[in-house]
Amino acid sequence: MDPFRLVTLAVFLPFLLAATVPAVEKLIKHRIGWFASLVAFISFLLIINVVPLVIQGESFKASVEWLPSMGIEYSIYVDGLSILFGIIITVIGIIIMSYSNGYMSRKEDLPRYYQWLLLFMGSMLGLVFSANTIMMFIFWELTSITSFMLIGYWRNRPESVYGATKSLLVTASGGLFMLAGFIVLRSITGTFDITTILQNDTLIKTVHSHEFFLAALVLIFIGAASKSAQGPFYIWLPNAMEAPTPVSAFLHSATMVKAGIYLVARVHPIFSGTEAWFILVSGTGIITMLVAGFLAFRQTDIKALLAYSTISQLAYIMTMYGYTTYHQPGIGVAAATFHLLNHATFKACLFLVAGIVAHEAATRDITKLGGLRHEMPVTFIIASIGALSMAGVPPFNGFLSKEMFYESSIEMGHALGSPFTFIIPALAVAGGVFTFAYSIKFITAIFFGKRPEKGIPSHIHDPSVIMILPAAFLAGLIILFGLVPSIVVQNLVEPTASSIMMETQHLHVKMWHGFTSSLMMTLVTFMLGILIYTKYESIAEWQNSFNRKYPFISVNYVYDGLVNNARNTLKRFASFMQPGPVKAYVLALLVLTIILFAIPFLKLSTDLAPTLNFNLEPYEVLVLFFMIVAAVGAAVLPKYLQAVISLSALGYLVGLLFIYLSAPDLALTQVLVETLTTIIFVLAIVKIPQTFKEHISPSQFMKDALISVAIASVVFILLLSATQGIVSPFESLSYYFIENALPLAGGHNIVNVIIVDFRGYDTLGEIAVMCLAALGVYNLIHSRGESQ
Amino acid sequence: MTTVITKMITRICLPLVILFSISLLLAGHNNPGGGFIGGVMFVAVIALSYVVYGLETIKSSFNPNWGKWFGFGLFLAAFTAFAAIPFGHNFFRSAVEFLHIPLIGEVELVSAALFDTGVYFVVIGSLLSIFEMVGEDK
Repeated sequence: MDPFRLVTLAVFLPFLLAATVPAVEKLIKHRIGWFASLVAFISFLLIINVVPLVIQGESFKASVEWLPSMGIEYSIYVDGLSILFGIIITVIGIIIMSYSNGYMSRKEDLPRYYQWLLLFMGSMLGLVFSANTIMMFIFWELTSITSFMLIGYWRNRPESVYGATKSLLVTASGGLFMLAGFIVLRSITGTFDITTILQNDTLIKTVHSHEFFLAALVLIFIGAASKSAQGPFYIWLPNAMEAPTPVSAFLHSATMVKAGIYLVARVHPIFSGTEAWFILVSGTGIITMLVAGFLAFRQTDIKALLAYSTISQLAYIMTMYGYTTYHQPGIGVAAATFHLLNHATFKACLFLVAGIVAHEAATRDITKLGGLRHEMPVTFIIASIGALSMAGVPPFNGFLSKEMFYESSIEMGHALGSPFTFIIPALAVAGGVFTFAYSIKFITAIFFGKRPEKGIPSHIHDPSVIMILPAAFLAGLIILFGLVPSIVVQNLVEPTASSIMMETQHLHVKMWHGFTSSLMMTLVTFMLGILIYTKYESIAEWQNSFNRKYPFISVNYVYDGLVNNARNTLKRFASFMQPGPVKAYVLALLVLTIILFAIPFLKLSTDLAPTLNFNLEPYEVLVLFFMIVAAVGAAVLPKYLQAVISLSALGYLVGLLFIYLSAPDLALTQVLVETLTTIIFVLAIVKIPQTFKEHISPSQFMKDALISVAIASVVFILLLSATQGIVSPFESLSYYFIENALPLAGGHNIVNVIIVDFRGYDTLGEIAVMCLAALGVYNLIHSRGESQ
Repeated sequence: MTTVITKMITRICLPLVILFSISLLLAGHNNPGGGFIGGVMFVAVIALSYVVYGLETIKSSFNPNWGKWFGFGLFLAAFTAFAAIPFGHNFFRSAVEFLHIPLIGEVELVSAALFDTGVYFVVIGSLLSIFEMVGEDK
């Protein structure tokens, strides 16, 4: 199969099979998790097939048209970067979905859980393989939505709802900034297709010198930062920890939060090499790395601690992507890519451990845990491997990429010159020190110290194989990548770095490379890290007291204020816009319609006198006469029921007219819809008073009559102009449909062919609206019940 | 409204009208009909039985989850729209195939018919769930 079909299937299969999950669940019950893992495995196999192409240093792009007139296509781009992400997503996906079989209780709503996991996996794969920025944006927002559903999985818990809403607000609105950035980029380059820009040096130069360069860069970077929890946007990630732990491991450490990193890497060739790029990307990265690393000390929830460490680790990667500006080519990009891969392994592993601990000890609170190393020896070993790798201790993979981070920081410092020669490596070490301290804390808090008497179950043991194996597998990867880095470096990291830099990259990674300055920095990190670790409690205590004293120095304080303000403002706006009686809304709509149509007609009708041409058959006159009678009846009859029956009589007569005009489809639809509306009307009016009790004053009556006559005249003139040619005639589309219905769509019924084929897209939108209307009615009826 | 005559007529009509609605759906591509009309026809006869026998009576013996119907319909329609992409064709590209089956004769297979079936299910599901909710609402 060609790469296009392989990748498309890998993206589409999770979506397709997610829909079948409820049906499969009926067959295999709680084993549904294995079905989900199988889907991830199939996607993995499909993607693996494309890897040889990428190792040879080639890239591949193919597309089919979607909205050709706007340059929007469904297009697939396969290069090192997308393959690296594709493999991370599917491999971690397989691990997480297998692990969930042990983690999720059988009493939970399992189909919903696995459905959203699969949908997320599909969206994430779609995102990384997109070549068209609009398609990228759609998948980007899909990952935000699926993440929202998964964070809020336990929908009855207010913390889950708060966390889910926060993540959606931050990441989805960040996505809108990104969309704006893409549109600016299009106005500069004239294309939504990112590969066209990447492969065209003159186009990139145009972007660099364009006056909107900064706007495009900042907008796109806001999108990336919000998704990857960088800068002030970090606030959503700690609250996202309300999700089930496998979800946190999958979305909020290994894949979704890396979407921002992916975006930065994807647009790297377009924007890098400029001062703005360095300041924005590396600047945000360094600040986030330090602040998040520091704030991690305060956390007592092990998942929150891991969340802050994720923010800080992502900031490392971000920082390194920014380094390329002053030091071309540098090892920054390759190091960042390697660290990205390593972070996916050790952080997912640590989250799985956190899940095991929470599952067995029934708490995630550091203060309630301790001394579990004898009871959970296997978990202890796995956790130590993960945490030491994060701390940058040899011989694990984290050590290698941390070394490279230091090395690139030194290079960067040299390139910038004094005083940055010292400052940048020092900041890097500071980040490493924090990481070291909280990594050690993660192990000691859970596995060392005194075992608490109360608060945790008396018998705690290692979990079942289903939960231990995925974590052990990741721990195995950590050691493997640490000892034999060339496996991944040659096959994944180098192709990725080459595709980010747009030139071939070679990287030599070794555990021992002599007494280099980066090794010195690592040693300094360890010493300072141990020092800081001994002060861990007092630093946390100082942070807590600072927070109590100045609660307003916090991004969360600003976020909560903004959201509450928005809520109150919208409440006021809603009560202003929707004052009450339905009549007011109808009035507003009608008056607006009159004004909108009357203005152009008043201008038109001055010199164009209609040549009225009524050729009516006698039976048509008869039908029209009855229609008038029915219409008058609907207006004047005193009881609701009579008025409604009169109105439906009018509808049936219209259907009759359609038959005379030889439109059987239309007539059939009209009669059926009329029947249904009548029944719904009748259902509704049995619940309200049967007569119009409201007294209408003469002045009110005059006003109503005036508006009715006005709207009737507008509709009358509109119809006249459409049928009698007041408005200058334009070429009718119907001939096209009549001629092409059979040859192009193979149908004799032109009306139907238009609905399902020529205008199929419209129809899809319309039926989606019907579904939304049904859901809206459901919400209206049920939310009213709740408030009472 | 619920006289013996209406009850009897409803009982006789129900299967016939449902069959007719399916035939409208299938005939749609070449003759008057289609997913929308077929769907509304189906809704009308179910609504008739609700009105004649009462919502509770019907639901005690026949109570599908209409929400699932429109979900399925929307999925089917979207699926046919996207299905062309893995084959390297444009979004919404339709396929026509003529099959020759012995005894029955020429049968036309159109991917658009699958789309129309999606429309059929959405119309039935959304209208009947609205209908049911409004009817049950106190």
